[in-house]
Amino acid sequence: MSDQSALLREPWLDFGRQREAGKFGIWVFLASETLFFGALMLTYTVCRIEHPEAFAAAGRETNVWYGTINTAVLLTSSLTMAIAAQASEASAQLRRLVLACLMLTAMLGLAFIVIKGFEYKEDIDKQLVPGAGFALSHPGAQLFYGFYWLVTGVHAIHLSIGIALVSRLFWVLLRRQLPAKDNPEIEVTALYWHLVDIVWIFLYPLIYLPGRAS
Amino acid sequence: MIWAALLALLVLSLVAAYVPMGRMTTASGIIIAGVKSTLVVLLFMELASAKPLVRIAAISGLVFVIAMFALTFADVLARI
Repeated sequence: MSDQSALLREPWLDFGRQREAGKFGIWVFLASETLFFGALMLTYTVCRIEHPEAFAAAGRETNVWYGTINTAVLLTSSLTMAIAAQASEASAQLRRLVLACLMLTAMLGLAFIVIKGFEYKEDIDKQLVPGAGFALSHPGAQLFYGFYWLVTGVHAIHLSIGIALVSRLFWVLLRRQLPAKDNPEIEVTALYWHLVDIVWIFLYPLIYLPGRAS
Repeated sequence: MIWAALLALLVLSLVAAYVPMGRMTTASGIIIAGVKSTLVVLLFMELASAKPLVRIAAISGLVFVIAMFALTFADVLARI
């Protein structure tokens, strides 16, 4: 019980209610994030309906290997994050497992950003930035790459925030400033992390897979 | 297990993208993405065992995205 009283925050009188409210709150935020990324994907869809050939040609220029490896990295990070969250609920004995999985999650997130950096470098070298000197002749291809830079950039910002949150949790738990058992911050951070993963799951077929079959 | 299924689906969507099936090629990528995120939401995010209030909050985002797509498509698809 002393663990739970260390985690209790204003204005809640009861730890159980605090957890419920935190979970409800993050899901409301995630619903708003769904709409934010949904609107971007809708814009992509409308542009693609109007310029199907240009989007196929532009999609073919992306590096499918960077994209696929990064998807695998992010899916694996979701696994380690889920283990951390479930271990924190299961038992106080699993503190070391929680810490190890948080560390792994942050490292996998960083690996994603590093791989993305190499990919950005290649894209810039191939002159795939919309504007003067753009590599592809079809005007619709610039729309594709406008979406590409915007949405992967916004996703990378979300992921960076996730890495910062997970690293902070790791540090706070490592120094025993907060207990790992039933810590609602782990649960809420995990939910945010999974949403960033889901956004990427949808971006993967939109960015890397068009135009491969033709 | 879930992780293995997610990676298997990733490989499946990569392979399917190279098979010429016309419109179904694009659809297969998006359908597989839908299956993958359903797995993540229900099992990693534990929505399968969540309370009704949390489920309503989670589903509300999806409902409004569907409304946004439906209203836009009602216009865009009618112009082709």
